[in-house]
Amino acid sequence: MRARVKEGNLDTGKKAAAVEVGRLAVSFGHFRALDGLDLRIPAGLSFGLLGPNGAGKTTLIRTLAGLLKPQSGQVRVLGQPPSPQVARNIGYMPQLPALYLELSALENVSFFAQVYGLIQGKARRAAMEEVLRLVGLWERRGDPVLRLSGGMRQRLSLACALVHRPKLLFLDEPTVGLDPELRSTFWEYFHDLTHQGATLVISSHTMDDASRCDELAFLRAGRVIAQGTPEELIRAVGKIGASLEDAFLYFARRREEESVTQ
Amino acid sequence: MSPSRVAAIALRIVRQIARDRRTLALIFVVPAVVMALVGASFPESAGSGVLSYLAPALLAAMALFFAFILTGVSFLRERTQGTLERLMASPVRQEEVVLGYLFGFSLFALVQSFVVLLFTIYVLDINYSGALWQIIVFQVIVTLGSVNLGIFVSTYARNEFQVTQFIPLVIMPQLFLSGVLWPVAQMPRYLQWASDFLPLTYAVRGLREVMLEGRGLKDVPLELGVLLAFAVSMSALGAATLRRG
Repeated sequence: MRARVKEGNLDTGKKAAAVEVGRLAVSFGHFRALDGLDLRIPAGLSFGLLGPNGAGKTTLIRTLAGLLKPQSGQVRVLGQPPSPQVARNIGYMPQLPALYLELSALENVSFFAQVYGLIQGKARRAAMEEVLRLVGLWERRGDPVLRLSGGMRQRLSLACALVHRPKLLFLDEPTVGLDPELRSTFWEYFHDLTHQGATLVISSHTMDDASRCDELAFLRAGRVIAQGTPEELIRAVGKIGASLEDAFLYFARRREEESVTQ
Repeated sequence: MSPSRVAAIALRIVRQIARDRRTLALIFVVPAVVMALVGASFPESAGSGVLSYLAPALLAAMALFFAFILTGVSFLRERTQGTLERLMASPVRQEEVVLGYLFGFSLFALVQSFVVLLFTIYVLDINYSGALWQIIVFQVIVTLGSVNLGIFVSTYARNEFQVTQFIPLVIMPQLFLSGVLWPVAQMPRYLQWASDFLPLTYAVRGLREVMLEGRGLKDVPLELGVLLAFAVSMSALGAATLRRG
């Protein structure tokens, strides 16, 4: 089966969309970080944004999280434009852990729980215990972040993004700097979350992460050059033993050829 | 507007600063050391009257200075560590962020203002006529305005170097043009006009009326009004520059 290369009009697939983006353009000065990007992310999947540095992955995630204002185009997240109301159902894990170093792990999670509206003490405590146990930090809950290792901070950052049980999670390079064992643990969490109905949008530039996603979009120079399941994208290369890396290079070359002929 | 979110942000800031013992110690010690130096530097021949005359201006200037530095640097740290961006991706509204930070930082900024005030009154033993609570009202309003100014200004700084450059740009001109060191009336006409736009001018003038002339707050409505308007407008500008997207 040929991979679906989507550009231009939004695809209206059968499954409900968690994210719909049409002709999205975001610039920083003269640099166009997103250049007329179209994307539709079906709900209930782990969806990978794969591309080299500077492809626009982080800019896209920050725009979807409502942190950047596009110059043009449409963005719909859970059926609405990004806003504080929509943000209640969204979890955001930035590339850097972005935690309060002097506070304990529990205090960090508690703060984000309150900010996301978990005010009631009992419900908040239960949610905090659940996520801290999930990321294996319940025993270290009283330790200030300053005393936690890099991997533990990544896990705590994930716990902060999960504590309010979001329907949609934006994870910006969540596995960077993690050892293979921890990366594997993270992916177990991610699959558990999608089985519970959450949608995960994960940016990465590693093929290991990409191969674990239910569906992928290849990004290059601020555009989606291909979208499909990892298997579909690999099959499109038409070579036995092709990898996702080969698939990315195949679509990147095809895009270049298309732009030359145009 | 969610009071619980505002309270969560304010309490988190208080906890963070309170956990850092060195910062906490500096918050208490530095204003006292600075005021001790000011007191010790006054020649005996000048007499206690000169220090008493300068005290209202010093109280206002120190409140402005310390609150601006504390807030500007702390808020910048939130931006560079990415915690502010993470917060802005949550359901929190800009005005909730500004109010939360205002309450959180103000606690420590007010501690510094009170250290300056109490040290000036009880250790430097200056003479003043008005009621102490009226002096405190002025100090609180100046401090709140300066905290908001720090939040607003730090949104234009990308690093610590840049935020410290705002001190000579924002604070120093006020020290020279607001009547802290010499009377505004003795400055060139165009600088007198410029001083009318500086909040410290109204703080110095109001505190002098209260402390030296023994007047009440009802006698200085213009000074109080301008300082309150400054605090509110800085808060609104801070919220506007924090807008998401």
